[in-house]
Amino acid sequence: MDILREIVQWVGLSRLELGFWSFPILLGLIFLRAPIGLAMFLIGLLGWIFAMNGNPTPILAKLKSETYTTFSNYSLTIIPMFLLMGQFATLSGMSSALFRAAEGFLGHRRGGVAMASVGACAGFGAICGSSLATAATMGRTALPELRRYGYSGGFSTATLAAGGTLGILIPPSVILVIYAIITEQNIAKLFLAAFVPGILAAIGYVITISIYVRLFPASAGTRPPVPWPDRWRALADTWPVLAIFGIVVGGIYAGWFTPTEGAAIGAAGTGLVALLGGNLTWRLLGEALIGTAKTTAMIFFIVLGASLYNNFLALSGAPQWLADVVLGQGFAPLLVLSVVLAFYLVFGCIMDSLSMILLTVPIFFPVISGLDFGMTPEHVAIWFGILVLIVVEVGLITPPVGMNLFIINNMDRDTPMAETYKAVLFFVGSDIMRVVLLVLFPAITLFLIPA
Amino acid sequence: MHQLVKWLARASAMIGGIVLLGLIVLTTLSIIGRELSKLGHAMDNGIGAAIVALGVDEIRGTYELTEAGVAFAIFAFLPVCQFYGQHATVDVFTSGLRPRALGWLRAFWEIVLTGVILFIALRLFEGMQRYLGNGETTLFLQFPVWWAYALAVGAATIASVVALYCAFARVVEAATGRAILPEG
Repeated sequence: MDILREIVQWVGLSRLELGFWSFPILLGLIFLRAPIGLAMFLIGLLGWIFAMNGNPTPILAKLKSETYTTFSNYSLTIIPMFLLMGQFATLSGMSSALFRAAEGFLGHRRGGVAMASVGACAGFGAICGSSLATAATMGRTALPELRRYGYSGGFSTATLAAGGTLGILIPPSVILVIYAIITEQNIAKLFLAAFVPGILAAIGYVITISIYVRLFPASAGTRPPVPWPDRWRALADTWPVLAIFGIVVGGIYAGWFTPTEGAAIGAAGTGLVALLGGNLTWRLLGEALIGTAKTTAMIFFIVLGASLYNNFLALSGAPQWLADVVLGQGFAPLLVLSVVLAFYLVFGCIMDSLSMILLTVPIFFPVISGLDFGMTPEHVAIWFGILVLIVVEVGLITPPVGMNLFIINNMDRDTPMAETYKAVLFFVGSDIMRVVLLVLFPAITLFLIPA
Repeated sequence: MHQLVKWLARASAMIGGIVLLGLIVLTTLSIIGRELSKLGHAMDNGIGAAIVALGVDEIRGTYELTEAGVAFAIFAFLPVCQFYGQHATVDVFTSGLRPRALGWLRAFWEIVLTGVILFIALRLFEGMQRYLGNGETTLFLQFPVWWAYALAVGAATIASVVALYCAFARVVEAATGRAILPEG
């Protein structure tokens, strides 16, 4: 232990300096392919020891209960429940019901089958809180149909990859839950605030599609219209989605139950739909549980590392110092916000959205919440959360590591990745325009939220 | 050996998943009970009185069981995450490495990760001993806190065993250039 103390003295950094140095070192480890949760855990641990002048006893004592406390945190128990709900949703058969309904109304228009895919993704997003699951499930349902009606490969895959991001924009959303917990905001209000921007995203994608098919008429075919009675019948078949969404999100908002209870009811409801639809065999149930297990463990390991690292950062005082400096310079609030959002856009190209939020929100949030946007602090927090959610999700459909692009592209071996990249840029454009719109008019996000 | 560890990891995830399912059913029943009870008290007639007389209400201690159960489930979920290489990483900056170098890099981080998982499990064990010593119980159900810790320690032990195997497997992968652990 004396060696530790000597090393610390030799390094001779103040706590604040430690806080600042920790971030580039952490990024270095992550870029060297360290598992992100592991890197945060290690730097957090070392940071604590250094900040305590080389005395490891406080942090060792803290770690006796830290993992258990983090994993048993009641607010966080919502995450495995929403993940299981998403797994059940993929087995519920609702993806094809939603697609049939949307296709009935839109399929005969130019680009209509692609628009229907986006609509179905939006509907599926209402019972699934994960982008990857939405992209994968809707991809399996809609990709064969798109190709059947003569849609070009890159356009089809790009549409579904972009549509998949609606899974997380439209509540429930796992990322929003994490944001709510880090910033101590009300989950119900964040869900409500995400609703209109989510719908706007779907509308933006539909407009993008209609522009695309006019620029490249050869990229889309058409299909004969579906008779009206069939359209209504197909729409009626999607009622479980509406019911589950209404009960879960409505019930959480109305205060009938806590968010975790809402997630449990949602998981039970989607599980029931899958069971009654005859899609839930023992084998598939096992696969759903294993799938939930992998993602849950991955998320909680990052949450654990982040909690230790952020604990250390708070101890160092670096985030508060940064906030004071930025605020002291008197920069225009919108300029600071734009810089932060641009940072997320760039970073989103290389890192997954959850890690990015856990890593950076504790640093940026004090800065943003200190700025004067002419709103209540709660409104600023909610507005910023929705903006961050959108910009980090753009990372899922931007090269080089857009996960949604890989998932969909893997389903369509005939389409080269470059084709998907080219077509997806139109959707990225739509995303960026939406972010600009939401930054300029905060009311779009906030008008549903009581002050 | 490989099949045994695979079975262990999957069985552990299954048990965690079944606990999660149980909590979901418990919570749903509890809310139905609570809402029925509210309804019974609100209705000023025979049906309302009947519901109240049945004693339908929320299930006490659901919160505590959820917290303890989910904590156990997450420890039980760690082995599959490890075994299937699901931990989040940033790959772009190392994708240009030669397969050999990348293999050793992965092996290195896997060893560090294993070290951390063993460390966490040991700390958790110490935590359990602390609660064993002070006899603290939960608020509603009054069960000793160390029970919940003991379950978590059990799951963390399985996670440690699987982690040791994964570290070993990654080193063999790096040395031989042959894939052992599944991707995804």
